[in-house]
Amino acid sequence: MKEISIIGINEITYPHLDIWNWTIALYLYLGGMVAGLMILGAISQLRSSPITEKATDRPVSCYMAPILSPILLSIGMLFIFLDLTRKLNSFWFYLNFNIMSPMSWGAWGVGIIIPVSALWAISSLPGSYLDKLKRWKFIPYLYNKLVPYRDKLARLNCGLGIFLGIYTGVLLSSFVARPLWNSAILPILFLNSGLSTGAALLIIIAKDRMEKVFFTKADIALIATEIVIIILFYYAHLTSTSPHVESIAPFFTKGYYFPFWITVFLLGIFLPMALVLDVARVKGFSVLGLEKLRIHLSACLVLIGGLVTRLAFVYVGQLSSLSDIVKR
Amino acid sequence: MACVVACKRENDVPEEHYRTRVVEIVEGKFPKLRMELRPELCNHCENAPCVYNCPTGASYKRKDGIVMVDKKKCVGCKACMAACPYDARFIDPRNGAAHKCTLGEHRIIDGKDPACVTTCISGARIFGDFNDPQSPVSRILAERHVRTLIPEAGTKPTIYYIGLELLT
Repeated sequence: MKEISIIGINEITYPHLDIWNWTIALYLYLGGMVAGLMILGAISQLRSSPITEKATDRPVSCYMAPILSPILLSIGMLFIFLDLTRKLNSFWFYLNFNIMSPMSWGAWGVGIIIPVSALWAISSLPGSYLDKLKRWKFIPYLYNKLVPYRDKLARLNCGLGIFLGIYTGVLLSSFVARPLWNSAILPILFLNSGLSTGAALLIIIAKDRMEKVFFTKADIALIATEIVIIILFYYAHLTSTSPHVESIAPFFTKGYYFPFWITVFLLGIFLPMALVLDVARVKGFSVLGLEKLRIHLSACLVLIGGLVTRLAFVYVGQLSSLSDIVKR
Repeated sequence: MACVVACKRENDVPEEHYRTRVVEIVEGKFPKLRMELRPELCNHCENAPCVYNCPTGASYKRKDGIVMVDKKKCVGCKACMAACPYDARFIDPRNGAAHKCTLGEHRIIDGKDPACVTTCISGARIFGDFNDPQSPVSRILAERHVRTLIPEAGTKPTIYYIGLELLT
């Protein structure tokens, strides 16, 4: 029998129950998705035909990925801003750089990525968009200046996307106090998940059949990789110290978090893969009618699965601790 | 539990929040039971994860080793709370800044002990200067077997415990 009672502590003073909530999970989710968009958008752009002045026949991912990146990342920043309890002090993020603090790296990194991806977005604008944005004179001006550097911007954004995707995992994995997060595999898992959700979004917005098939095939490979990484993540915890073993228990025991886990694995990983697995082997795959519905449903499930993954890791990670008194 | 009350009163700790706590653990099967009472607080670690994880420099370590929070620089990102293996921090609901034990720094400037130490009726809490070999804490450290909480975290705490057996 072991009975623990604590004088001077209650639910409010248990910080591990109330550190980060859904806003952080959404920030990590959008950050990962943008990382995926930047990497896949850059690859798509570099694979497509050489630069033409106002190309309108380029794949949708060549311009929508750059356009969506700064927008979605700014929305993500808004969520982390909402989580701050002293919002007016936010400027201190940019008056200090702590090389050992992942959050400091993130603040500076995102502060650089948003304008750089915005420049890439302007350089990637198709002619029809450019005509609509003519009233803001700086946009055509910047477009003309940036178009010659579009491929270089794509390469730069690809690198920044890798940084961003890894950072969303490092932000959690650097905390030795939270055994579930404290794994070098987590950044790789989040990067892969970000690529997968980015690909899913591009599948939905792509118009061209070949483009949809290309990103669907990419997503199948990414989902398969994700399954391997998740298994390795749990294996690493299972063979580690007792706090690490106990940290993954909520995922495998009946309780509040168990439904999350089922959702992630069945709805977010296996089902979307099963829905589109034949795309990988059928060459003349049609994306009309039922096939199109399957591809889109699969992509939507990947997007939901990515979000649930972030929510599950953020919340369950805060239940894990090195101390005996907070284990349950 | 006088230390918990004294700390709250002395440091104007917000309602329903605590800088220190007392963990009471009972282990065994009746009638063979063992009980341990352990006061917990910020461990003022040498390698403090709250300090190196703080993105704004609000959490810092004084020359004397006390870990402090500069409220003016704190943005309330809660990275320090996530980083602390001892769950010693919380957000002050009155101003949104991270809040923690300061070892009664306003008292030790005047040569007094922290309120939790002064009020402890059994003398279980001892405060002193490790750099002074003649101080009570230095002598105890040299003579008794002491240990720290969660040493495996690698934080090198400067709060030591004598006779700690039941919990880590």
